[in-house]
Amino acid sequence: MISKILIANRGEIALRIIRAARELGIKTVAVHSEADKNSLHVLLAHERVCIGPAKASDSYLNIPNLLSAAEQTKADAIHPGYGFLAENARFAEICETSGITFIGPAASSIRLLGDKNRARQEMIKAKVPVIPGSDKVLDDLSEAKKIAQKIEYPVIIKASAGGGGKGMRIANSAAQLEEQFPIAMNEAKAAFGDPSLYMEKYLPKARHIEIQVVGDKKGKVIALGERECSIQRKYQKIIEETPSPFVDERLRKRMMEAAEDAAKHIGYQSLGTFEFLVDDKKHFYFMEANTRVQVEHPITEAVYNIDLLKTQIRIAAGDRMPLADDLEMRGHAIECRINAEDPATFAPSPGKIDFLVFPGGEGIRVDSALYCGGEIPPHYDSLVAKIIALAPKRQIAIKKMITALEMTTIVGIKTNLPLHLSILANAEFIKGDFDTRFLERFLSRKNGEPSVP
Amino acid sequence: MKTKSKTAVRPEPASRAGRSKVNFEEVTKLIGLVDEKKLTHFELETEGFKIIIGRNPAAPVSYLVNSAPAEHAYAPAARLSQETPSFASDGEDEEPSGPEAKGELHYITSPMVGTFYRAPDPSSLPFVDVGEPVKKKQTLCIVEAMKLMNEIECDVEGTVKEIYVENGKPVEYGQRLFGIQVLG
Repeated sequence: MISKILIANRGEIALRIIRAARELGIKTVAVHSEADKNSLHVLLAHERVCIGPAKASDSYLNIPNLLSAAEQTKADAIHPGYGFLAENARFAEICETSGITFIGPAASSIRLLGDKNRARQEMIKAKVPVIPGSDKVLDDLSEAKKIAQKIEYPVIIKASAGGGGKGMRIANSAAQLEEQFPIAMNEAKAAFGDPSLYMEKYLPKARHIEIQVVGDKKGKVIALGERECSIQRKYQKIIEETPSPFVDERLRKRMMEAAEDAAKHIGYQSLGTFEFLVDDKKHFYFMEANTRVQVEHPITEAVYNIDLLKTQIRIAAGDRMPLADDLEMRGHAIECRINAEDPATFAPSPGKIDFLVFPGGEGIRVDSALYCGGEIPPHYDSLVAKIIALAPKRQIAIKKMITALEMTTIVGIKTNLPLHLSILANAEFIKGDFDTRFLERFLSRKNGEPSVP
Repeated sequence: MKTKSKTAVRPEPASRAGRSKVNFEEVTKLIGLVDEKKLTHFELETEGFKIIIGRNPAAPVSYLVNSAPAEHAYAPAARLSQETPSFASDGEDEEPSGPEAKGELHYITSPMVGTFYRAPDPSSLPFVDVGEPVKKKQTLCIVEAMKLMNEIECDVEGTVKEIYVENGKPVEYGQRLFGIQVLG
């Protein structure tokens, strides 16, 4: 039983959690920084508590203040959303020991999957294919070179504690590896306080495809169809869709089975996502697992006609798996992430929203905390809206999305709406012929730079 | 330099209708004017509406005070229909405001989320009361958080003019606890 959820987040995901909680008859507590006093999640929750100044490290990441707020408001559960403390094992553990339900997996699962190298070793045990690479943290450069020779260049070195593209370096030769190794180490140390690196073979023509899993507290796990997330810039996803135009029924089944096995192997109990790289020969390799609700969860909800957030809350409350075993995907869903940024330079564009019109109509969903007159503070993520289109076929979904974006008006800040429209009109995108480097090539072509091979 | 322009109109009971007479543009214009004339403090109070614009670095640059009954920080916040959030941007919209203008109070705010206690234990007298002189470093209250008693000290010398929170009530970050009339 959960009767009141404190939402340790802000923006659209805080609002998404409020919606789910309200539908379940659960009260909500919004927490906010001084910069978010008038943010929509604060205005729409049942209660609200200011937990610190604008800086996230003093507010949304302030564990003592969050727990005090939960105690004061008698919240019996905390939903971390995504980002901030969502994948912080210590926070989950503190919640557990304080008798507050952490709406997410067990702290031990977060800790295991958060260590990218340990996660990889665990996947090998679960017989989930991983990219050829180092079996443990790299000791030094000479070991790195030995392994690189064995698995063949190009290779990618990654931070063990990593995420978000930091501490990742690609090397095409031994000379490049020599050059990149210390840089990656320093970057990993600066970003995560841990210089440990591991190595994988770099797959240049790969797609980023992920599988949603849902596990309950009784050990039941189900996997849902894939999300195609290859349209990304600097490892930040921009457009996601499901199903992937590249994945056939056979590949889907194999990937879903792998993710289900992996989740079962570690006893995963909540929403989670297994990210895979899929090469052009339809081989797939485990990349990493995310132990939280994903930004792009609505496209899965759209094609399966389910509510993942309500499912996550119910599972945390101890309910049996609310989802059926034989769910089927219907139609095609696309999500465009609307960011407050300059569409050409990608510089963040915070500010006041002077005028706002969101799209609507059949098959369109908008998840956003924007409102006319509201402010986008400069302190946080630039994601301001997610627009999701659902249609029976991919081509119709693309048309529907274009129409929706053309009917969207956001005045007061710059957004990447024009970038989305140009991607949606691109011939390769329309054909479904792309990999994770699509956007890099697309942008350099657009800027008239020599093309990236 | 302290320049002070003050228009104190005898306050009437708060009315929503009064508030609607001042719009966002007018407030923006006022702030611009205060800035242009290099004033450090400006107060205006009319029926059901009060605005204080100041440059004191310790206080917000501009804030609006809603003279409707003070809303408890933990009260349900579904207020979207009652007030336009854009109007209250930068607003200290839940700060209590008494009937008379406060002058130059120095505010002691809560550095954390917790429970406010005025005395070291239930049988003791409060650390301070309204009207009492206080010194720098003097303990004013306790904010309990995570089972820890955090003593909140005064950072100015002066007289306690206001105590905004009742003993034993929850406080949030940045919430006003005391209003101190600074000495000199």
